[in-house]
Amino acid sequence: MSDSPASSPAACRFEYTAAFLLLRIFLGLRTFLAGLEKFEAGGRYTFANYYANMDRMAQGITGASFLPLWATKNFAHSLGYLLLLFGVLVLLGIKSRISLTLTGLLYVGLAFGLMAVQENDGIAWLGVYVGMFAGALVLVRYDRFALWRDRFD
Amino acid sequence: MSSLSLPGFTRRDFITTGAKLSAALFAAPYILRSATGEPGGDDTLNVALIGCGEQGRVLLNAALKIPHIRFRAVCDIWPYNRTYGERLLKKFGHDPKPYEDYREMLASTPGLDAVIVATPDFMHSEHTCAALKAGHHVYCEKLMSNTVEGARAMVRTARETGKLLQIGHQRRSNPRYLHARDHLINEAHLLGRITNSSAQWNRAVTEDLGFPASQALAEATLHKYGYENMHEFRNWRWFKRYAGGVISDLGAHQIDVFNWMLGSNPVSVLAGGGRDYYTTHEWYDNVIAIYEYPTKDQIVRATYQVLTTTSAGGGYHEYFMGDEGALKMSENPKYTKLYREARAPEWDQWVDQGYIAKPGSGEGAPAAVKPWEKPRPKMPMASKAAGVVDVRETAELSAWDIPVTLDKAIHQPHLENFFDSIRGKTTLNCPGESALATAATVLRVNEAVAARKVLTFAPEDFTV
Repeated sequence: MSDSPASSPAACRFEYTAAFLLLRIFLGLRTFLAGLEKFEAGGRYTFANYYANMDRMAQGITGASFLPLWATKNFAHSLGYLLLLFGVLVLLGIKSRISLTLTGLLYVGLAFGLMAVQENDGIAWLGVYVGMFAGALVLVRYDRFALWRDRFD
Repeated sequence: MSSLSLPGFTRRDFITTGAKLSAALFAAPYILRSATGEPGGDDTLNVALIGCGEQGRVLLNAALKIPHIRFRAVCDIWPYNRTYGERLLKKFGHDPKPYEDYREMLASTPGLDAVIVATPDFMHSEHTCAALKAGHHVYCEKLMSNTVEGARAMVRTARETGKLLQIGHQRRSNPRYLHARDHLINEAHLLGRITNSSAQWNRAVTEDLGFPASQALAEATLHKYGYENMHEFRNWRWFKRYAGGVISDLGAHQIDVFNWMLGSNPVSVLAGGGRDYYTTHEWYDNVIAIYEYPTKDQIVRATYQVLTTTSAGGGYHEYFMGDEGALKMSENPKYTKLYREARAPEWDQWVDQGYIAKPGSGEGAPAAVKPWEKPRPKMPMASKAAGVVDVRETAELSAWDIPVTLDKAIHQPHLENFFDSIRGKTTLNCPGESALATAATVLRVNEAVAARKVLTFAPEDFTV
């Protein structure tokens, strides 16, 4: 007898489907809002605020680590847009397998920056998210209510 | 091999010039500081110092940063202190003549404008009156005298001679204290109606001052100048014949702030205290007092505590509490804060005018943001009652900063005020008359401790 989720009874499939949906909504919202808050300063959301915030982040990380400014700046300047994009993809269920993988990798990249500045609390939180992405990928074949589902042969 | 040698510039020249340049660089800070003591024109003041001990050195170091001051003489009965003062001044370009006896110094130093008195309290009156009578303006350390009569004599002599007498309650010249009193309390009325005050100085145990055995004064010399022995000479603050103990040594500064900030002298005092720890002292090592100050609004009760066996309990500060706000002052900015009661009118207009500031650090300040973090937006989700554990608690006070700091030695503005008053540019911040009232306020505490009952003041207690 196989213990694969795919071979579980129908009741179990519902639970896996629900579990994945919860993870997808949570991670999608978290990722989208994490991107959105990068544009905020003093309660106002603007592109000027975005680049000010991201420059501050890049300089802060570079100032406290071995990472060069060109690397942190490039990462920081693309971070907000990627979080917004991946957040929408995950939330709407567009090619969830690849979008979850890419978003998870983005969180690993963020964790790497925090590892470089020894920000242990932040690393731990990002680690929790990465674990949730991994869990979501395990359940990705139960993806339902998705705009563009993956195919599983 | 290429050479960068200049015509006529030998290796010897190079070494000699290099050594001179190095010496000049090394000496630059001293030259720069001593330059401020050079006569800079007609407004250079010739000054002498009587008392080169602990406080005398503090005043010397503050005065050395003030331009157009020339020290002409130093006086101390102990050669060890006298030499220290003389050497310190010489290092900064002054050439003071040392004296053991102040009478000789006053008689043989021509052209003096002012005398700074930093001797033990029991000598303040004698030294100050003699200097005033010799025609000099006087800056005398606090407490003005160890007796009210001594303080009165100083005021009388200043009046008779027409010379200026400034007493060293230096908080009165601290720009942060001036801003708090003149703008925050008297102009903006941020405290509302002041109802209570408190102040404290909690200081950890300190060892008695010693002395190198080879530098001990002869018994005959000590007796000649009124000291019983070397231990009492070094630790005069804690003996009744020389000073008023902790309430005088530490309390005088803060009790003076009560009088000054409240614009009033007390009508009564109740006090307790004792010598319970230091077996080598005469005076109390802890004192707690309650004053009653009549103000235009009401009687303000002011509690004062000085402890010399613990630094716990918040260090040293003066607190003025009103029905709309509270002001916590200290010479140390880290203990300074302004608090707004929830019922008070908004203070934003005072922020806009630069009178106060939203806290940047410490109590009431937003959590520290790491260099790579974005400051978090305000989320006023918690209700005003959050954190209240009892229905009788009121809403939490909000903390604000006072955006005025002193960037000089703490005694420097007070000395500057004295010197500028001599030049006629301003008036004294702590003239003898005000300090007499403070001395009477402070010294009555020791009487109240001994009497174990409430003692009252009459208006004439504070005047000549």
